[in-house]
Formats: sequence, C-alpha cells, structure tokens
Amino acid sequence: MLLHYAPGSAHSASVRIALAEKGIEAELHKLNLVNYEQHRPEYIALNWHGTVPMLEDRGQYLMETFLILEYLEDLHPAPPLIGKDPRQRYIARKWGKYVETHIAPHLAINRWAALHGKVSDEAVPGFANLLTARCELWLRAKHGFDREQLAVSTQALLTAGNRLAADLAGNDWLAGDRFTLADVAVYPHVAQFGALGLPVPPAVEQWLARVAARPSVEAIGADLFPLAVMGPEPGRWG
Amino acid sequence: MLDVYTWEPNANSGKPLFCLHEKGVPFTYHYIDMGTHEHHAPEFLAINPDGTIPAIVHDGFTMTESTPAMEYIDEAFGGPSLRPEDPFRRWQMRILLRYMDNVVAPSLAMIASNRLAAPRFVGQDPDELRAKLARIPLPERRATWEKLMFQATPPAEIEESQRRLRQAIERFNSLLGQTPWLAGETFSLADVGVFATFHALPLSMEGEVNDRATANLMRWLRACHSRPALQAALRMGKGFITQRAAEVRERLGVAGAAA
Repeated sequence: MLLHYAPGSAHSASVRIALAEKGIEAELHKLNLVNYEQHRPEYIALNWHGTVPMLEDRGQYLMETFLILEYLEDLHPAPPLIGKDPRQRYIARKWGKYVETHIAPHLAINRWAALHGKVSDEAVPGFANLLTARCELWLRAKHGFDREQLAVSTQALLTAGNRLAADLAGNDWLAGDRFTLADVAVYPHVAQFGALGLPVPPAVEQWLARVAARPSVEAIGADLFPLAVMGPEPGRWG
Repeated sequence: MLDVYTWEPNANSGKPLFCLHEKGVPFTYHYIDMGTHEHHAPEFLAINPDGTIPAIVHDGFTMTESTPAMEYIDEAFGGPSLRPEDPFRRWQMRILLRYMDNVVAPSLAMIASNRLAAPRFVGQDPDELRAKLARIPLPERRATWEKLMFQATPPAEIEESQRRLRQAIERFNSLLGQTPWLAGETFSLADVGVFATFHALPLSMEGEVNDRATANLMRWLRACHSRPALQAALRMGKGFITQRAAEVRERLGVAGAAA
C-alpha cells in the first residue's frame, strides 16, 4: 500500500490519521504542492484529477478522501471507525459528503484570499494537464476570487461551524459517543479555521482540542498547516 | 415506521424509492409536490429545515442526504444486498455515486430545469417570486432558484453542463462494456443512483443515447427497466415521470410497457 500525500493538504491528513488509528503500515510518497508536483504528467498519468491524496493498493489507484477512508475500513474493519450501527454510519457518511460539498471548496477559496495565494507563470502550463473543470478552478484562483464569492464562501464556513456544533450538542464526537471517520474527515479542515480568522462555536473549539490530543493526530501535527491550494469545485447548481 | 417524504421517482427524489423497492421494504410514501414548492412550505420544513427532498424518517431518525441514506437502507433492512463485497468494487460504487452527486446530476438538473421549469416563471409577478425565494432556507438553493425564476442561468454554464453530461454518458458506456453492472458483476447502489437520473435519456437525449452511439449503456438501461422493483418505483409517480417511463420501456422494447 502506497499513499501519495502532501504536507499542508487537509485531505491527505485525514488518510494519514485513519492509517495510524487502524495501525496500517503504508509507504508514503510526499508531493510538494508549492511546486505543483501534483500537476506533473507522470502523476496525472496515475490520477487524472491531479489531486492528493491517492492510495495505490493491489494495482488500483484510489481517489476521493472519504472513499479512501471507507476502503480502508472495508479492508481492515478493526478497530471500527465508520460507526457502530447504521445511524452512526449515516452520520459519518453525511459529514464525509459535507466536507467535500460545503467545507473544503469554500475553505480553499477563503484560504487562497487570506494567504494571498499566487500562481507563478511556471505553474500555468501544468494546468493544461488537468481536467477542464480543475483547470478552470486554478485559472479562477490565478485571477483571484471576487468579493461576492468570498462572502459566499465565508458564510458557508460559518454555517458549517454551526452545523458541527449542532451535532456536537451533548456528544464528544461528531457521530455521537465514539470517534469515527466523520471526525477524521472534518478535523484537518476545521483545524485551519483559527489561522484564517474564522471563528467557531465553543462546542467546536472543545471538539478540536479533543481530536488534536489523539496520538494519530499529534503524530502529523507539523503537516497540518494551511497552504494556498485549491480544493474541490464549489457546487454549480444548488 | 419508515416514512419517505419525496417528489417523483426521479433523480435524488427517486433514490430512496428505487432502493426500498429493490430491497422489498414496506414504507409510507408522502408526496411532496415540488411544482407547488411544497418542499419550502412550513409543514415540510418541520421535517427537514433545509427544505431539500428526499427526507427519510426511520423510527424517529431523519435522513436528508440521499446517497448516505441509500447505504443506511442497505444496512438497516433485509432483502438482497445492494453493495458489492469486494472493497475495491465498493470504492468504485461510491466514487460513481459521488461523481453523480457532484458533477452529473447537478448538470442534468441545470439543463432539465431550465428547459422545463424556467418557462413557467415567465410573466409572473416578480414580488411574488421573491417571496417564494425568501422561503428557501439554503443560500445555494436560493441562488439556483433565483437563476431559474429570472431566467438568469448563463448560457456558458448550460453548455458546460451539456459537456459534462455527454462525458458522463461516454464514461458509463465504456464502463458497461467491461462489466454487466456499473460496479462489477452485481446490481448495486451505483446502478440505482445512475438509473434514478438516467432512466429517461433514450427519449430526452435520443441523439446521444441510442443503440448505435451507446450500445452498452442501452443494454444496461434495458436491464434496469426490466427489473420489476424499478418498474414498481417508477409507477409510484403522480405526474409525467411515470408516463414517460412507460414510453421509454416501449421505446426500449421492454415488457411491462404500460404505465
């Protein structure tokens, strides 16, 4: 098993946390996103999305963070991380999806502005290796996001904080009484909110501290910094 | 107690209906009429404050995300399993569903709603339309409905959606050239999810989806339309979807053609 990952990639952090929680040994291949190594033809040949993380296992190349987490769970069910019953598993999967549709895309836009993201001229030719939608997202980033988009993204992230707080009411963890893939998937993204000046409700603050104290998270602490890179495409039609 | 609050057997609305019929699980169908914006009315918002359909309530537990809800249905009830055993095939099932949810279904929704729903708003009182918009809880949905009501979807966006849809048709057709079902040898939630959105394409996109251009996809559509459970779910509608499904079955030469 070989994990292609990058420091500063919240999605990569989720997979590394899950590997550590499950005690799975995987080889690591580190990519440098600052140099756009994820857009190089040799990487695109393996992963046409040009994204990290990607898991290489048994001759297959797996993408999409939460779906990689589910794959690890299906392959190594112990210790269980997806939840103890169908309800808890639904909640974990609901958050796994929400990260991709609401948190990661808007966090990327907000982060790009907060960290004054720039695309160097050397990086532009690499965009041609990407799928159309991904290429267009990077070109949008190059021009900078307008005020209207930034307002939409900031609001989406504040709403996300409130939704997290709602599920954490009376619970230590997002899916209830135990640490699950919901916490694994959401944590590395929301851990960046503070550095970007995005407030979170107290219940979320306490939950962030609980997750941060887990050895699996402490072990990769140095790689959890925010980096000006694009996330998934924001929703186009509701 | 299993209650499904949803619109027609179509796209996200249809996913729980198709899934429950395949599992053979009894449930109560509460019809929420999207045409009269019942999903933004207080009665429905009391069930799902986000104002999105479907909402599935099982013994007091409410689910509003249709793809995770399909996995819940597969886990919580008896009947045939709708997920492959092999972990890689499961990943494949899930990534197809993710691709549908994030890329393909929104593209088709943009195209279809601009064709079918947008013209209904032409000439209506703008203040009344704004009052309807104000009842939509989620800002992203409000923005979408605003584009529909005021015919403000940029043509370039619709073209991009058409490109994405054509690409998806090609990809699924090629995948179905390798295996009988989308995630391998067995019928799975991937087939349910794609069928829910693609069931009428032989009529609505007959130039792109036909026996010459997409033979594998057509074989799969015939196989899906022949399944008694999917036919039963398609018969549950109260509007044009059910009639259209009968026309599609007739076009495909599939038994059980009557609506």
